[in-house]
Amino acid sequence: MPDTILVVVEQREGKLNRVSWETITAGQAIAAATGWTLEAAVVGSAPASIAAEVAGKKLAKVYAIESPKLEPYTPDAFAAALKQFLSSKQPKLVLMPHTYQVRDFVPKLATAMGRTVISDCIGFKHESGKLVFTRQMFQGKLAADVSFTSEAPWFATFQNGAFRGDKAEEGASAAPVETVSVDIADGVIRNKPQEVFKEAKQAVDLTQAEIIVAVGRGIKEQKNIEIAKQLADALGGDLAASRPICDSGWLPMDRQIGSSGQTVAPKLYLALGISGAIQHIVGMKGSRAIIAVNKDSEAPIFEIADYAIVGNLFDIIPPLIEEVKKAKAGG
Amino acid sequence: MLFFRKPIEGVERPQMPADVVIVGGGPAGMACALRLAQLIDAHNAAHPDAQLSKENIYVLEKAREIGQHCLSGALLDPRAIAELLPDFEKEAPLDAKVIKEGVYFLTEKSKFKFPITPPFLRDHGNYVISLNKFVKWLGSKVEETGITIFTGFAGSELLFEGDRVTGVRTDDKGVDKEGHPKSNFEPGYDLKAKVVILAEGPRGSLTKQLIEKFDLAKDANPQTYGVGIKELWEVPSGRIAAGEVIYTMGWPLTTHEYGGAWIYGSKDNVVSLGFVTGLDYADPRLDPQRVLQQFKRHPWVAKLLEGGKMIRYGAKTMPYGGWWAIPPVAGNGWMILGDSAGFLNSARLKGIHLAIKSGMLAAETAFDALKKDDSSAAMLGQFQKKVESSWIKQELWKVRNLHQGFENGMFAGMFHTGLQMITGGRGLRNRYPAKAGYAHMQKLSNLPADGGPEAHLLGPAKGDGKLTFDKLTDLYHSGTKHEEDQPSHLVIHDTNVCNTKCVKEYGSPCQNFCPANVYEMVDDASQPNGKRISLNPSNCVHCKTCDIADPYQIITWVPPEGGGGPNYDGM
Repeated sequence: MPDTILVVVEQREGKLNRVSWETITAGQAIAAATGWTLEAAVVGSAPASIAAEVAGKKLAKVYAIESPKLEPYTPDAFAAALKQFLSSKQPKLVLMPHTYQVRDFVPKLATAMGRTVISDCIGFKHESGKLVFTRQMFQGKLAADVSFTSEAPWFATFQNGAFRGDKAEEGASAAPVETVSVDIADGVIRNKPQEVFKEAKQAVDLTQAEIIVAVGRGIKEQKNIEIAKQLADALGGDLAASRPICDSGWLPMDRQIGSSGQTVAPKLYLALGISGAIQHIVGMKGSRAIIAVNKDSEAPIFEIADYAIVGNLFDIIPPLIEEVKKAKAGG
Repeated sequence: MLFFRKPIEGVERPQMPADVVIVGGGPAGMACALRLAQLIDAHNAAHPDAQLSKENIYVLEKAREIGQHCLSGALLDPRAIAELLPDFEKEAPLDAKVIKEGVYFLTEKSKFKFPITPPFLRDHGNYVISLNKFVKWLGSKVEETGITIFTGFAGSELLFEGDRVTGVRTDDKGVDKEGHPKSNFEPGYDLKAKVVILAEGPRGSLTKQLIEKFDLAKDANPQTYGVGIKELWEVPSGRIAAGEVIYTMGWPLTTHEYGGAWIYGSKDNVVSLGFVTGLDYADPRLDPQRVLQQFKRHPWVAKLLEGGKMIRYGAKTMPYGGWWAIPPVAGNGWMILGDSAGFLNSARLKGIHLAIKSGMLAAETAFDALKKDDSSAAMLGQFQKKVESSWIKQELWKVRNLHQGFENGMFAGMFHTGLQMITGGRGLRNRYPAKAGYAHMQKLSNLPADGGPEAHLLGPAKGDGKLTFDKLTDLYHSGTKHEEDQPSHLVIHDTNVCNTKCVKEYGSPCQNFCPANVYEMVDDASQPNGKRISLNPSNCVHCKTCDIADPYQIITWVPPEGGGGPNYDGM
């Protein structure tokens, strides 16, 4: 019996991750080079429909590995299910896409089976009977050829974009699908999944803001940011800051204006307690109107300000907020 | 809360075997790589049956691009490059041949020309270059040979087995401010090398690790340094000829400080000017960036620059302790080159040619080591012998006592220099002792409150925005950029010293000697003196002044995440 390559496609909440097509293309290429048999597997609580979708490709067989305990996704359950399946099937090579989910469970799976993973590969070579995988080192400056010396099953993951998903060959007829139920004992799953974390979209796109109230070191203390925020709210503008403020963690980095932050050009830019180092100025000098408040009459910010207010911002801002509110209410 | 950079523990690091790893892609490292490739190519052509590979020879360079962190005056003495690449004149970026030189002594308002140019400052036959452009070119020659240069990768620590250096660990990438791995975390590589060559420039961080580990400096004089603060200007035509070289002594420094300025006319009306201040001054309030600003206010200099524009800024230290300050430069698995070793002629203020020559000699030794597959201390010790029998020693021997002569001020220095010139470098004795620069720094209580004769050198420069600049404006022109979310690569071993001791005793000189505003004392009512040290590591221009000049010696400079740093285009 020839050796087998098994592609584990990725699904999450019942949807196929399209990068899986790339892994199938990779599997087909390795199968063509080695003469090994290519099969695929889907892991989940209800993998049937995805298995059927995958079965359209040129594959010898598709396994739907199922257990109610596979939903929601946990690395414990996935590693346990695949370990059970792989231990009985004994494929030579197991391929997966190098996704966050795979990176989450595959080290556990390989360790549990006493095997190694060649991760994040960008290609393979089959030379005189030896299968070699290529992976990048030194941020892509070097390509290393790596091969397995351990016993099968071998695990390898492919980098996103290493193969073309649209080149996955269709099968002449649908591949047979076999459902494999796995038993995941109580106590195996120790992870308690929380809601899926999505990196917060940048809360503000300061480059689109029409009015920006920016604070600098002159604000003195974190709690004083509140008065700048009140002014920004009263004006209907956004709050921003110079670097020392974001450096101290008083405002998030995405609100930093200047050479190491964002470059903005609002209609109105209010600089409160910002001295105006060139590093800040390059990020806001395109503003239509600049109002600067600073105690130091020689602060460089005044050189580019349209309106200069020399004074203590704690004396100036509160009445300004009141005036803005009055004007808005009146208007 | 400050968190300092150190290699992340408990991660599995990718290992990579290497024949030779050269840390630092400056003139020394590049010359070493190129010479090694030349030797291997010649060997392979002559011995088809015993081929040596260049594939496992690597250069680590922390800058994102080759040459980006290279800063010097610079004048090139072509002696070494002519040995390395006899045809260099046809292709190297040489901006101008030196046509005229002058040495001046400045007072606040006037200047006096030295009637004769001292022999060591005669520069006919030398070239005005941009070290940045020169190293870029040298790097391209290295890449043509097939040797890999890993730009954006720093050497973060040396790997040891017993008394042997066995490799270099590169920097961890994707570590956040508190030292946690980020989603893009990539652990540094362990490059296991037969031969590790340190060419990190002055006060190399791995060199420092090596010297400390094996106490290599025990028989050497303490290394002494200066910091060169440089600005590149574009001036109206006719002010200075391309190839005109000017050195000054005197004002704005007093007779107590060691240092001087250079002004080099380059092509296209570009002027390189800078001021080297010896990092052995007494007053902790002295600010080398301010010294340069004061220098530019001298009527003669101001006139030269009038109507011009400052286009680049940078700073770099230089080692000028001389021959007696050089530690052993080879041992079991390692060699040290260029400024990391201290190969710099302090009379001529030149080190590029010595860096290149030391790189070439180390390459010869590394080549023999590869051929014989032996990189023991005995084998690599050949490099030490080669240095001692080459013109590197000849040149440095003549000026071996120069800087030490100046430790007690300018007049004593000139006396000793004169004496040394007529005694082949000996002066009053074969070996003058030296004291580390930071040990000269005085506590505020011993100094006049108003600064006395040094008052004009103390505290931050204000800058008029045309001729003179405050530090932040200058810094902006260094093009410095770092990943902001990473631990501080300025490692302060005990911040209590900053907050409780130094602030009182020395008034926090870090704020003054750092030419890039990295160090700041911020108000903090919870501290006994109301001030707390705060760091802006992403301002750092990698000059190493802090590591050298801090009077308590509690700052260690380590490389930040590779790729960060200044952008010295044209410097």
